[in-house]
Amino acid sequence: MTLDFGVLMQDGNLPLLLQGLWVTIRMTFLALILSCFIGLVVGLGGMSKGKIISSLSAVYLAWFRGTPLLVQLMLLYYGLAISLNIDFSASVAGVLGLGMYSGAYVSEIVRGAIQSIDRGQMEAGRSLGLSHWQTMFKVILPQAVRRMLPPLANEFIALTKNSSLLSAITVAELMRAANTIVADNYRYFEIYLTIAIFYFVVNFIISTLIRILERKLNVEGARS
Amino acid sequence: MIEIRHLDKYYGSHHVLKDINLKIEKGEVVVIIGPSGSGKSTLLRCMNYLEPIQSGQIRIEDQPIGMIEHKGRQQEMPQKALNKMREKVGMVFQNFNLFPHLSVRDNITLSPLTLGKMDKKEAKETALSLLAKVGLADRAAAFPDQLSGGQKQRVAIARALAMKPHVMLFDEPTSALDPELIGEVLDAMKELAKEGMTMVVVTHEMGFAREMADRVVVMDQGQIIEIGSPDVIFKNPAQERTKVFLHKVLTHS
Repeated sequence: MTLDFGVLMQDGNLPLLLQGLWVTIRMTFLALILSCFIGLVVGLGGMSKGKIISSLSAVYLAWFRGTPLLVQLMLLYYGLAISLNIDFSASVAGVLGLGMYSGAYVSEIVRGAIQSIDRGQMEAGRSLGLSHWQTMFKVILPQAVRRMLPPLANEFIALTKNSSLLSAITVAELMRAANTIVADNYRYFEIYLTIAIFYFVVNFIISTLIRILERKLNVEGARS
Repeated sequence: MIEIRHLDKYYGSHHVLKDINLKIEKGEVVVIIGPSGSGKSTLLRCMNYLEPIQSGQIRIEDQPIGMIEHKGRQQEMPQKALNKMREKVGMVFQNFNLFPHLSVRDNITLSPLTLGKMDKKEAKETALSLLAKVGLADRAAAFPDQLSGGQKQRVAIARALAMKPHVMLFDEPTSALDPELIGEVLDAMKELAKEGMTMVVVTHEMGFAREMADRVVVMDQGQIIEIGSPDVIFKNPAQERTKVFLHKVLTHS
């Protein structure tokens, strides 16, 4: 059997893949926003002096980092629906699942970046009469965000790739579109190579955008 | 202005400040000297409660800072009240601790604006006049990493002054500076002292202590061992330990 990329043009295959790509991008983007939000809350919570808040954050991190994403998605989509009657649509379960999983990793990125900022910055803010949170949001976080960008690029790329697991909970994203097509025509190599390139291009764009953002932030502010 | 009574501080089991009693009057310049590890910086940092204390009392303008009595027991005061007290106390750090992501002007206006002490226009004008005062009127738009150490420290002084503090604490303000940059920072401090600012200064600059201090506090091993006018301390100290310390620092300068 020889390679024949002409199959892309048959049976509406390419439009189906592009539709899947669009779903992948949308799901990933929404999950990314959720993941940043959870990451910030759990990351800050993990550093809290309050025992309850910091333990909750630790449990969150341990659970979502310590169990497979595929298992989490199954629990969220099938498990909750059948045992507790909490019936999310596939897309909602997908965004929630991806976002909560990735949020665990982002929380560690947030915590690491904040802890890498010199302790004197918090002291300076406090000595000027600012509260802990005022100093956190006006002084510490703006500096920490710069240090978060490189590891965040890694995490967002992982998130995009992990979105392929949503095919297992019936989300019609890129991977599922490919599965549907190959089930019909057995053109595994052509179809999977095509979606591999799609994923690659999306991730290349993410890493480029973050690099541009990094450079922009460095020009605007100080480099220390 | 500042009154410290029976202050004790521990790091774990290490007793770093032992029964400190000190009263600082309005308009006074008090210089704290002593060997490294004697607790002088720690004492200064207790004065705006950057360091928690285990027992004793610190009062600023007759109001407690940090620990308060509540139903007969000592406990930490609410954060809001602590922030309010800290507004009265300006602090200048050894490592400047300027905010690197903000311009010089924004470093100065951040606190007054965030706390609603001034509107934008007033904050801007205050920043410019404070910068002029420390000789940096032309650097308002610069970022901290574009400044020399001496310039950074003068910005840090201007930043602290923007909150209109009633007392200024200096924690080894010239120790991180190249020798040729020390003078410009000391000059800014002298200017401030002449205006009547109450100042507490931890420093190794004995020249500054001699010239500007109303009183010199000598610390060793977590205790105040001697307090006196610069004349007495430098020419005729009562304590042998003061003599030994001064001999060590003065023979090389």
